[in-house]
Amino acid sequence: MKLRFALAATTAMAVMTGTASADTMKIGITQNNVGVDSYQTTYEKAFIAAAEANDAVEAVVLDAGGDVARQIAQMEDLIQQEVDAIIIWPTNGEAVIPAVRKAHQADIPVIVTNSNIAEPGFDFVASFSGPDNITQGSRSAEIMCDKFKEMGIEDEAQIVQISGQPGYTTAIERAKGFEDRLPEVCPNVTLMETQPGDWNREKSQQVMEAFLVKYDDIDGVYAGDDNMGVGALNAAKAAGRDGIIFVGATNFAVGYEAMAAGDYWGSIYQSPVDDAEAALQTALDVLNGKEVPFLNYFDTPKITQDNMDEFSKPVF
Amino acid sequence: MKAGKLSDALKKGAIWGFILLELIFFSVAGQFLSLSDSAFMDLDNMLLLLKQSAPIGIIAIGMTIVMINGNIDLSVGATFAIAAIVLLDSMTWPIFAGLGDWVIPVSWLLALTVGTLLGALNGLIVWKTGVDAFIVTLGAMLGYRGMVFMFNGENPTSHLNWTLVDFAEAQLLGIHTPTWFLLGVTLAIWFVMTRTVHGRNAYAIGDNREAAVNAGIRVGPHMMINFAIIGFLAALSAVVFYSESGSVNPNDGQLYELWVITAVVLGGTKITGGAGSVIGTFGGVIAIQLLRKGLGHIGADTSTVNLVIGLILIAVLILDRQLNIRGKEELKL
Repeated sequence: MKLRFALAATTAMAVMTGTASADTMKIGITQNNVGVDSYQTTYEKAFIAAAEANDAVEAVVLDAGGDVARQIAQMEDLIQQEVDAIIIWPTNGEAVIPAVRKAHQADIPVIVTNSNIAEPGFDFVASFSGPDNITQGSRSAEIMCDKFKEMGIEDEAQIVQISGQPGYTTAIERAKGFEDRLPEVCPNVTLMETQPGDWNREKSQQVMEAFLVKYDDIDGVYAGDDNMGVGALNAAKAAGRDGIIFVGATNFAVGYEAMAAGDYWGSIYQSPVDDAEAALQTALDVLNGKEVPFLNYFDTPKITQDNMDEFSKPVF
Repeated sequence: MKAGKLSDALKKGAIWGFILLELIFFSVAGQFLSLSDSAFMDLDNMLLLLKQSAPIGIIAIGMTIVMINGNIDLSVGATFAIAAIVLLDSMTWPIFAGLGDWVIPVSWLLALTVGTLLGALNGLIVWKTGVDAFIVTLGAMLGYRGMVFMFNGENPTSHLNWTLVDFAEAQLLGIHTPTWFLLGVTLAIWFVMTRTVHGRNAYAIGDNREAAVNAGIRVGPHMMINFAIIGFLAALSAVVFYSESGSVNPNDGQLYELWVITAVVLGGTKITGGAGSVIGTFGGVIAIQLLRKGLGHIGADTSTVNLVIGLILIAVLILDRQLNIRGKEELKL
């Protein structure tokens, strides 16, 4: 594995000159915005580590810095450099479609990672590697239902939902997964109302404050991610309302800490390390001619107060 | 006098010397560090470089006139985003439904008109209120960006039209469509600045506004025209770029104003106005894209690119100061 950084350039030069052999696979990745949050930073580190550990892989690791124009330019550069496969974490699920088509036309398989591109681009993509948001939603429903059964209130519980930013696929799919699964496992639990928290902790706190005024009896809160869940938790704490079961999706460090403190019940554990390794593995499988499902999900297990010691604290 | 000529030649040649240096460096370093088997100086790669320079480049050409004028426009990134939204959204308007693919020129025209009007509005405010262009366009930058977010919240605005994508991806005589636009704009504005009265007036106003007024130049309308030109070019840049990628994020174009100003300053235009050239700016744009592309070619981090460009910008300004003693005397506050 040879990986290049400007700062490591001098040392790298000695190591790698002329060692490129014909049977290594050149894989280029263009990421969304490394450094904007620790999920993406950890993802990049894990990707580089995974690529370095594999002798058959040469990786070109690029970052679009959240800029669509730069990501498109990076796609063009990777095509120009004739890499064997391209992994893309889209900055915009639609804007990159023409660039993905260009790679497809140049016979370079494209693997989309973390969040999928829009449907008109599906024809040009070899595989999508990422979390299954529907499953995440339905698992959250199961976590909540199991807890209600344990408490013996599965026939009377009333809950509210705080969803992610409207229009985001992740938000829509997580809500759908939750809403579809809940009546299957706990048919008598009532979902009273859903309001968007826009992935934002303060916004969710306000939404929850309104819920607390409106409803005297809230047994559970489902939030589209832990950031929003903790916002809701803060509102409940401030209002002095105890005994509410909080369940999130995508376990954040704040959620993990609240679980450790016993305030927050459970969530879904999504590791950026698994995400990165799954993307690289998907690319390798595609290049090796293996059958890869178009939607190639990696597992995101349930995490609750009961089993949280099996997981390390999320870095984000 | 001789020394002045020498420093002049040095200043004008500096950007091209720098580009040459970059080309040599990345060609040599690429031999050792790049994963690519093809050379950095590969013809296709250089054509791609020109194409990738277009979004920033087209705006930078317009910024050159405004800066020669002694003004600045910080709102170009936001204008860029608004024009993009007009372009993509208007293609889906029901009133144009009967047009088929003829909606494309209509949407282009709409986007360009909106950009021109927004630019002219900046110019009008600068003209009529006498408030410094920096402040006016800073306000416009925030205001126009606010309009972008009001339009569709945090969501992207999208419309993918494959006819348009095919046009934008076409390569006439091997040269990409965006490159043609960049070259055309450069040529047109070069002509305006060097061969017309309007161009001469632009230098005169930037050099000494009071003297220009006394000489009978109508400074206000002149500046407004230039703001309209840069608004038009910001919209043109958006139109060219988004024809190839049918979706605009509400924060697209952010920081473009800074990249554009960097390119113009690298190209030797004085921030205080009165001196500069469109061809120099073209060089500045190429230099930045070359650096981005080259550092990517040898596998450097994105953050490294920003650091290097920042250092070079400061170095260029110091060099400019040392070479231009006359400029020191003229420093106006």
